[in-house]
Amino acid sequence: MSFVVSPTSVDEAIAFLVDNPEARPMSGGASLVAMKNARLIEASHFVSLARIDSLRGIRRNADGSVTIGGMVPHRDTAACDLLDGDLRMIRQAAGQIANRVVRNMGTIGGAVANADPAADYLPVLVCADAQVEITGPGGKRLLPIRDYLVDWYETALEPAEIVTGIALPPAGSGPSVYRKLARTPGDFATVSVACARDGDGVRVAVGACGPAPLRAPEAERALAGQLDDPAAVAAFCEALVALADPVDDVRGSAEYRLTLIPRMVAAAIRDVTGGL
Amino acid sequence: MAGKEVFALRINGREREVFARSDATLLEVLRDDLALRAAKRGCNQGVCGACTVLLDGVPVRGCLTLAGACTGREVTTLEGLAEDPITRALQETMIVSGGVQCGFCTSGMLVTARDLVAQTVTPTEGDIRKALSGNLCRCTGYVRIVEAVTDAVVALSQANTDTREAIQ
Amino acid sequence: MSTAFDIPAGTAVGKSTPKLENREKVTGRAEYIDDLYRPGMLHAAILGSPYPHARILSYDVSEALAAPGVVGVITGDDVPDGRMGAFIKDEHALAKGKVLYLGEPVAAIAAETLEQARAAVNLIIVDYEELPAVLSPEEGLAPDAPILHEKLKDYIKVFDAGSEGNLCSRTELTEGNVDAAWDRCAVIVEDEFETEPQAHVSLEPCGALAEVDAQGRVTLWSANQSVFRVQANVCESLQIPMSKLRSLTPRVGAGFGNKMEPHIQPITVALAMKTGRPVKCILTREEDFEIVRARHPFKIRMKTGADAQGRLIARDCEVLLDCGAFADDSPGVLGYALLMSGGPYRIPNQRARGKLVYTNKLRFGAYRGFGNPQVSFAGEQQIDEIAQKLGLDPIEIRRRNMLHEGDGWFVGPKIASNGLARCIDAVEAASGWRKGLQPPATPGTRRGKGIAVSAHISGLLGTGAIVRMLEDGTIALNTGATDIGQGSDTVLAQICAEALKLPVEMVSVASPDTDGSPYNWGTTASRVTYTTGRAVAGAAREVLRQAMEHASEMLDTPVEDLELREGGRIAVKGSNEDLPFAAISGRAHWAKGGPIVGHHTLVFDEPTHDPKRSIALGLPFPQIGVFSFGALIVDVEVDEVTGQTRVVEAWSAVDVGRAINPRLVEVQIEGGFVQGMGFALYEAMVWDGPRLVNPSLMDYKIPTSADTPHVHSIIVEDPEPNGPFGAKGAGEIGLNPVPAAIANALSAAIGGRARKVPMTPERVLNQLLEGGDAA
Ligand SMILES: Cc1cc2nc3c(=O)[nH]c(=O)nc-3n(C[C@H](O)[C@H](O)[C@H](O)COP(=O)(O)OP(=O)(O)OC[C@H]3O[C@@H](n4cnc5c(N)ncnc54)[C@H](O)[C@@H]3O)c2cc1C
Repeated sequence: MSFVVSPTSVDEAIAFLVDNPEARPMSGGASLVAMKNARLIEASHFVSLARIDSLRGIRRNADGSVTIGGMVPHRDTAACDLLDGDLRMIRQAAGQIANRVVRNMGTIGGAVANADPAADYLPVLVCADAQVEITGPGGKRLLPIRDYLVDWYETALEPAEIVTGIALPPAGSGPSVYRKLARTPGDFATVSVACARDGDGVRVAVGACGPAPLRAPEAERALAGQLDDPAAVAAFCEALVALADPVDDVRGSAEYRLTLIPRMVAAAIRDVTGGL
Repeated sequence: MAGKEVFALRINGREREVFARSDATLLEVLRDDLALRAAKRGCNQGVCGACTVLLDGVPVRGCLTLAGACTGREVTTLEGLAEDPITRALQETMIVSGGVQCGFCTSGMLVTARDLVAQTVTPTEGDIRKALSGNLCRCTGYVRIVEAVTDAVVALSQANTDTREAIQ
Repeated sequence: MSTAFDIPAGTAVGKSTPKLENREKVTGRAEYIDDLYRPGMLHAAILGSPYPHARILSYDVSEALAAPGVVGVITGDDVPDGRMGAFIKDEHALAKGKVLYLGEPVAAIAAETLEQARAAVNLIIVDYEELPAVLSPEEGLAPDAPILHEKLKDYIKVFDAGSEGNLCSRTELTEGNVDAAWDRCAVIVEDEFETEPQAHVSLEPCGALAEVDAQGRVTLWSANQSVFRVQANVCESLQIPMSKLRSLTPRVGAGFGNKMEPHIQPITVALAMKTGRPVKCILTREEDFEIVRARHPFKIRMKTGADAQGRLIARDCEVLLDCGAFADDSPGVLGYALLMSGGPYRIPNQRARGKLVYTNKLRFGAYRGFGNPQVSFAGEQQIDEIAQKLGLDPIEIRRRNMLHEGDGWFVGPKIASNGLARCIDAVEAASGWRKGLQPPATPGTRRGKGIAVSAHISGLLGTGAIVRMLEDGTIALNTGATDIGQGSDTVLAQICAEALKLPVEMVSVASPDTDGSPYNWGTTASRVTYTTGRAVAGAAREVLRQAMEHASEMLDTPVEDLELREGGRIAVKGSNEDLPFAAISGRAHWAKGGPIVGHHTLVFDEPTHDPKRSIALGLPFPQIGVFSFGALIVDVEVDEVTGQTRVVEAWSAVDVGRAINPRLVEVQIEGGFVQGMGFALYEAMVWDGPRLVNPSLMDYKIPTSADTPHVHSIIVEDPEPNGPFGAKGAGEIGLNPVPAAIANALSAAIGGRARKVPMTPERVLNQLLEGGDAA
């Protein structure tokens, strides 16, 4: 049996989690309560973060960087004008999560904490070089999302730490796109690709093909300036395929995912180059 | 009994106290303790949408919401929307369109559709189809549900025009 | 006796009357099984088997019984050795002696709260001896296969099933001489096809509530498609006289075959009997996937030949069906699929053979279409392939070969009405089929149209109706047919109102109740409008006959000089003199003759098999039904990057004889299309060894409003001579041609041929990349 507590500050929430090691933070509850209903988890308490004002809102900081509060629901992220240019893909991803009603519930903090390898936020945040703002008993730390995502469903979160926000670099002017293949609208991705134009190159992250989104920085550098060269794009795609560690599941076979990576990545590059 | 507590909830405009399991979902409390059974349990995983209710006016899944997290917040079920003009318009068009078959999805469908109509001036067929995509229906093929929402929008704007004309 | 009314309908029939119960549904007041509560009611939870095949050695329920709130536990030891089943009686109320699939209920608990029941269920200890499992029909037929049902030979069977070993049943149908016909064919196509299991996913999970009264008589409410099949199954398995069980139904949150035969009712009744308290058992969505039933996976080998003009000469069809652990409706599905395997065509030489094999999996059973969508997927693609080889338009080859009114269907049944030609005309015109009208594909996609046609029966077995005239001249109708949301209460009320020329509001419809309703086999086989409608029309006519006799005496006029007028009045022909039903019924109630009650029952009794033209072995339905027809065109778009297929638009025309309620027919067409589209494109239950890996709506996806097209539903009416006002069934036909039409459209869009359902993005991409056959 679990109890619900609703602290009103981050400090209070963390103090409670420190005192109750079997307690779990709860943001939107969209994944957590589903797991509880399926009897997959047990907790002494669900620590609802819904009444903590400091976790709300999306803001542009003085240096142009953007911070999304941990409790911002997908609905708000999907509609946020601050996420433009090479951050626009984040809006697109948020708008493709689940459906209208679940987007009112689920939050970016909860999604990043949950770290489902097929979740839509992960590839766009990896592509955007986002940092995860983590607050715990020891205070606040910022971790690049690629370091934060450790393994299948495993993150760098320590006990009693919570995701309090997502920090994004200032928006660049290049276009960005999020491409998602799912069996039906609102399903988790079979494969997804985030792609942002970056000068004469691109940043690309591939979701649902391994424990964390695939990203090949060296190959991205090699591709710079050659976006119109099909052979260079093909070589780039191969570099991503080489990083992939997909599984067979009900959404598609590993083999299909490997087939899709170059096809979807090439299409995403076409999207952001507008047919160079 | 161990693991039960008293929740003070505001439901359909009334303060209600229930003595329920401390980790009960809002859906369980509504159905089992308050006998408000318009919201249905179709999957208990948030997928089917049959349990959709409003929390502070925003549609959420009753099955994914813990009752204990709702104290002090406003819960509205389909029963509580009986006098809501948008809901009433939708109910009338659903009755005649054929958008109601077995009816199990209907309550949740209406709550979501009401939210769309309240937020969007003139939703297109595409808007409607997107907005309702988290409310599954296995009977109708959705054609007549979409039609009912379209017709309700027309009826509501007609009613608005009529009211405006009456005032002038 | 014919029960058709040849009077032109006008009062109620042909009108899109909103369903009678819609207001209670849009206000959330409709009560489904999980909305019912009884004083002192307990909640049940079920323990499933951890093994696909095992002998049960012993139980220890002591710890579970001692758990908080637990009132009673039942195991296989608590249920008698009664076996139930529609065709082969092979199933206990609860696993007894052996378990035959993973998840099969082995024990159940009733406790004060659901939480307590669920918590205690894991405290039941069952000792098993694991046995090797059979996980495919091929494995089941292997000579040394482990045997699921050791006493299969002794089970009661309602037809010549030919059961042996793990072979549950076999059926063979032959007409003409197939082997000798191939030489006369100019083109022959032959291939293998496969379809995967589809889950019904009625939005309401299955459930039941049972209560035992002081006399020991059971009252049982449940989500069902037939209160009578529920009664029969519970009574057979628990060995109680049928008169000791009353079966009722609240509103039903849809049924597509899943709620026809039993699900959780026998266990719920056993728990109520054991505890002496009312017990409610509602399956979780996961259990609903794991322990009810599903659409059969088919393996099909089909060969079709035609002459140089595209006239079909021969078809040979062989199917292998996975039965799952229990026969359920499977023998019927096998027999029916074979009967439909030729499609609505004149094929002089036809053979269809099939086997149904027990495996250690969830039972497969009835699902909207009943085997027809699977064989149509194969057959309708072969028609297109032949057309392609001969350079014929797919519509043209269908016109050349289609069956006509008066023809016999494969093995014998006569076709009385046939609107197929008009269905084809209608979809051809509406869809702009002619070349040149194909809209361009959006960049990055390929686009194509495809057609498929279909026929389906409506009929089967017994049904009845009781029509009573109340004191005020209004009408109480009671048929025992469960309305599962499709609107049969409304349609039957319309038929009754029409027959008596009353407004439909003047007719009440009783909820099915085995205590008071006449027998109705069930809401299945697209049969209620056609068969129960006939019974209603017959009973109404009997009421009218009695009313006329009263009126004759009251007006001192011979019956021949009287007529029925709008509003329920009997009048002297050519005069203003008339009597309202109220006056007549008042006299009958209080003065003379007694209350007016009409009843009519019937059993569909036209033979399926004509021994003069064909040979049939193991035919499960000796008297099957009348034929509805349909044609479907779909326009699909394939994403070249991923292979994902989207249906852009669909046109579906169905000949329903007479649309008693046109809007309800349209919704059957549209809903059937979308369910078929899910089956065609992505729905599939997936097993990893014995374990179902996707028993949830997160993992098993059904169509949403956002990935379904606008479906243009077109009603064609070619009246069925003995149907009520000409009506025949509409429930399944809209689904049958969907996978085939999509496959044909895919072929037009990307080339190649789909051999497997569902046509997932992965398979379609392979088909596209190979420019040929899909894996
Ligand atoms: C029907 C349905 C469909 C969905 N479809 C998609 C989809 O298409 N794509 C997609 O990406 N996602 C999908 N999701 C998941 C959805 O986005 C979830 O809302 C999200 O993953 C979790 O967010 P939440 O705020 O609800 O987190 P919760 O459910 O509250 O929590 C999730 C987990 O994270 C922990 N947690 C929560 N907040 C924090 C925090 N701040 N710090 C540390 N730990 C925390 C919890 O203890 C729990 O373990 C779907 C969910 C549902 C119910």
